Amino acid sequence: MPRWIPNEPGEEAALLDALGISSVEQLFTDVPKRARIGRLGVGAGHDEAEVVRQIDKILARNKPLGSFANFLGGRLTSRYSPAAVDAMVGRSEFYTSYTPYQPEASQGMLRVLFEFQSLWVELTGMDVANASLYDGATAAGEALLFCRRIHEGRRFLVPASLAWEEKSVLANYASGPGLTLEEVPFDDRTGRLDLDAVRKSVAAGDVFGMLADVPNGFGHVDEGVADLKGILGTIPLVVSADPLSLSVLEAPGAYGADVVVGEGQGFGISPSFGGPLLGLFACRAADVRSAPGRIVGATRDVNGLPAFALTLQTREQHIRRSRATSNICTNQSLMALAFVVYATLVGPRGLAELQASIAERSRTLASALGGVDGLQAPRFDAPYLGSFTVELKRGTAAEFLDRLRRKKILGGVPLADPRPNAGSTPERVLVSAGDATTDREIQKYARAAASALAAVGRSA
Amino acid sequence: MTFRQARWDEPDVWDLAAVSEPVAPPPVPGIPERLRRKAGVRWPELAELEVVRHYTRLSQMNFGIDTAPYALGSCTMKYNPKVSEMLARRPGAASLHPQQPEESAQGALEILWRLERILTKVTGLPEVSLQAAAGAHGEWAALLMVRAYFRDRNELERRTEVLLPDTAHGTNPASAMMAGFTTREIRSKDGCVDLAALRAAVSERTACFMLTNPNTAGLFESNILEIAEVVHQAGGMLYYDGANLNAILGITHPGRMGFDVAHLNLHKTFATPHGGGGPGAGVLAAGETLAPYLPVPRVVKVGRKFRLDYDRPKSIGKIKTAYGNFGLDLRAYAFALTHGEEGLNHVSRRAVLNSNYLASKMGAFLPRPFRALVKHEFLLSGAPLKAKGVRTLDLAKRLLDEGVHAPTVYFPSLVEESLMVELPETESKRELDHYIAAFERAVTDSPGNLRAAPRSLSVGRIDEVRAAREPRLSWKDLRAAAAKVETPPPVRPTP
Repeated sequence: MPRWIPNEPGEEAALLDALGISSVEQLFTDVPKRARIGRLGVGAGHDEAEVVRQIDKILARNKPLGSFANFLGGRLTSRYSPAAVDAMVGRSEFYTSYTPYQPEASQGMLRVLFEFQSLWVELTGMDVANASLYDGATAAGEALLFCRRIHEGRRFLVPASLAWEEKSVLANYASGPGLTLEEVPFDDRTGRLDLDAVRKSVAAGDVFGMLADVPNGFGHVDEGVADLKGILGTIPLVVSADPLSLSVLEAPGAYGADVVVGEGQGFGISPSFGGPLLGLFACRAADVRSAPGRIVGATRDVNGLPAFALTLQTREQHIRRSRATSNICTNQSLMALAFVVYATLVGPRGLAELQASIAERSRTLASALGGVDGLQAPRFDAPYLGSFTVELKRGTAAEFLDRLRRKKILGGVPLADPRPNAGSTPERVLVSAGDATTDREIQKYARAAASALAAVGRSA
Repeated sequence: MTFRQARWDEPDVWDLAAVSEPVAPPPVPGIPERLRRKAGVRWPELAELEVVRHYTRLSQMNFGIDTAPYALGSCTMKYNPKVSEMLARRPGAASLHPQQPEESAQGALEILWRLERILTKVTGLPEVSLQAAAGAHGEWAALLMVRAYFRDRNELERRTEVLLPDTAHGTNPASAMMAGFTTREIRSKDGCVDLAALRAAVSERTACFMLTNPNTAGLFESNILEIAEVVHQAGGMLYYDGANLNAILGITHPGRMGFDVAHLNLHKTFATPHGGGGPGAGVLAAGETLAPYLPVPRVVKVGRKFRLDYDRPKSIGKIKTAYGNFGLDLRAYAFALTHGEEGLNHVSRRAVLNSNYLASKMGAFLPRPFRALVKHEFLLSGAPLKAKGVRTLDLAKRLLDEGVHAPTVYFPSLVEESLMVELPETESKRELDHYIAAFERAVTDSPGNLRAAPRSLSVGRIDEVRAAREPRLSWKDLRAAAAKVETPPPVRPTP
C-alpha cells in the first residue's frame, strides 16, 4: 500500500468505530449488486524505488532532443529555459493549489496571473488578456467562437497555409454551432495570403471572423496581415502570434487585431512530448464580456489595500451554465507562471536579442540548405524569424526525415496531414533553427540532406 | 488562533524597477518596416535574484495542498506525489518534442499506451484517448463524438437535446451548448435523479444524458441501471462525468453502470497537480459504439513497437495540439503503478470512509440534506447561520483563518447556502480531526468575528463586486487609472 494513504495502526478502526460500523463495505450498500465489479486487473502496486526503476527503464527508450541536431520547431520549441523558472514553478505553494476560489487565501497565484495577463497585453498591444487557455490551437478555437459572439455570420476564414492540426481543431470548434471554415489561398511563390481572395470572401457576405498566423504555417512573416483589418472592416480579425516574435514585430493591436491568441510553450515550458502547453488570449476592452476563460482583476480588500480576485465571472460556466461564453473550467495557471517568470528573467531587451539571434541562425541554415540538390530551401520567398519551409524535389518527406534521424538529425516537421483520407500534398517540411543551433549542426544537416536526397535519386 | 499567512508588502513586478519608455528593438534583416515593432515591450529589466525573491514571496501568500488541507468538494485535492514531479522532469520525459519520429519516442508512447490500458480497466470502457487537456475539454469532445455518431445514423436533425440533472457541474451544460446541443435539466428528488422526471423527459430528441455518479450531492445514484435503461430505450447515449471517480475505484465503473462514453480528470483521481487552476489532464473513454469517433491519433502497439495511428476514418479529428498533456499522463501513470490493484481499491474505500467520518462530525454543527450515507464528498447547509446574521461565505472566510482551505460554497444550488466538503484518502484521521475542530471553532464563533474574517491572511475580505464593476484587468488599466483617464470603453452590442 502506498505511503500516500495514511495507515497508522488502529486508524481505520477508529474511523469505523466513530461511524458505528465494522467494515468499510457497509459504506457501499448504496451501490446495487448488479453494478459492482470484481478485480480491476491492473496488477500489483510497487514501492517508490521500483516505480522509479520501471519508469526510468521505459523512458530510456526515448531519445531526448539533446541527443540530436534538432531542427524541430514551429509552435512548440525546445528553447533553453533558465533554471530559476522551474525553481519557481516547483514551489509547491503554487503547483499544489487549486483555482483561487477563495481569493484571500490565494493572492500569490492571483497576482502571478494578473502579471501574466499584463504581459500578454503589453506584447500584443491589446486591452485585456485572460488568465490563459489550454494551448495555442484551442485558444484559436475559442477565438473563433468569440468572434461569432461579437459578429453575425456563418463563415470563418483561415489561411490555407495554417498547420493541418490547427485547422482540424478549429473545425471541431466550428462544428458545434454549425459554422464553416473556409481556406484563403496563398501565393505560390511567396506563401503570402491572397488578399484579393479575402476581399472576395468578405464581399460574398456572412463572414464573422478571420484568423491569420504570424509567422504563418510555413514559418514566414507575411506583411499582408497588416492589410487585413482594412479589408475586413467590422469583421473581427484574430491574429495567432508567436510570443517571441512580438519582441521584434509590430504589436497586432497596432494593425487592428480584435483578438490575439498564441502558444506560450516557448517561454519556460518544456515541450514534454506536447503538454502541458499554454494558450494565450487577448481582446479589446469593449468585448471583454464575450471573452472565454478566467480573468483576474485588481480590486481592494476591506481595509482599502490592493487585492486581486477572479472577476467578470458571470461569463463563466459555473454561473451561467448553458449560456456561458465557454465550458472552460481549467486554465494553465502554472504554465502562465512559467511564462511570466521566463519573460521577466530574460527581459524585454533579452527577448528581442534572442529572437534576432535565432533569426540569424535560421538565415545561415537557409543558405546552407539552399545549396542542396533536390531541395528547395526556402520554398517560399518571404521573410522568416527562425522557421521556413523546404520542399523536396524527389522522394517523400517521411523517407527524408527518417534518413536524417539515422544520422541523429531531427530535420523538421512534415507539413502534410497524416490522415489517410487527407489527400496528397507537396512534400514539404517546416525547418527551424533554435537558440542552441550551431554552425556545425547546420553543416551536418546540409551534408546529410544532400546524401539523403542523392540516395532517393539513386533508388528512384 | 495560531495561523498566520505570510504578508509581504510586495510590489507588482513592474513596480520593482523604474520602467523606462520602451525603445524600438533593432531591426531584424528581412522583416518589412511596417511590421517592425515601433515601441519595445514595456516590462521591467530585473536581476535574477530580484525575480526569484518576488515570486518566492508571492508563493508564500498562497494556500496549497502542501501547506493545508484543501476541502474543496468535487476537486479531489489529494497529495501530489513528489516522485511524480521528479520523473516528469527527467530529460527522457521533459525534453521530447511531439513531432520527433516515433522511433525516438518509444518510451513516451509506451507510457501513454500503458496508462490507457489501465484506464480501460478503471472505466470498464474498451478504448481510451488521452488527448483532452482537461475534464470540460473531454466533455465537449465526447459530445462532438455523440454528434458525429448521430450524423452517421441520420438522426442528428432530431436528436438535438442533452439532458442533465440539476446537480450537474456547470461545465456539462456549457459543453453541450458548445457542441451545438440544447440542454434540459432534470429535477432531483432527495438529491438524486428523479426517475419519473427522466422518463417523462426522454424522447426521440434525446441525444445524451450527462451524469456524474456519485453526484455533486455526494450521493450514489442507486437507480443508475434503471437510468441507463431509460436513456438507451429512448435511443440516447449515456455520458459519465468522471469528476467524482475517486469514490468508486474498484467498486463499480462507468462500463458496468451502462455508460457509453466518459471523461476522467487525471488531476483529481490520479493526483496530478492542478497548479493553481491548471494544467489539468482529461481522459476520454468510449464504449464500442462511440470508440471509432475518438480523436486521432490513437496510440497503438504493433508487434513490439508503439505507433501513432491516424487511420480512423470516423474520428472527429484533433481537439488540441499534439497528443495530450504527456507530462501529466506520466505522473498519473506513476500514481497508478504505485497503487496497483490493492492500492486503487483502497483509495476509494478510504476516501469514502474519510468523507463519512467528516460528515458525521461536521453534521453536528450544520444540517445535512438528504440521506446520511455519502460517498467521497457531502453537503452541508449554512442556512441556519442566517438567523445569526451570517452566511456560508462568512463561514468559509473564517475557516481560512484556521489555516485550512474552505469547502466549495454555493454549489450545488439545490441546497440553500451549501457547502460541499471533500478531503480525500491522503488525509490522516489527525488531519480530519484538526479540520473538524477548526470547523467547530469557526461555526460557533461570534457573528462579528465571522463577518470580519479573514484576518490572518495576506489581505482582508476582498471586494469582489468592485472588481467586476470597475474592471482593472492589467497593468495597462492600472496605469490608465493612475493617469485618471477614466473614459469607459465603448460597449459593442452583442448580436
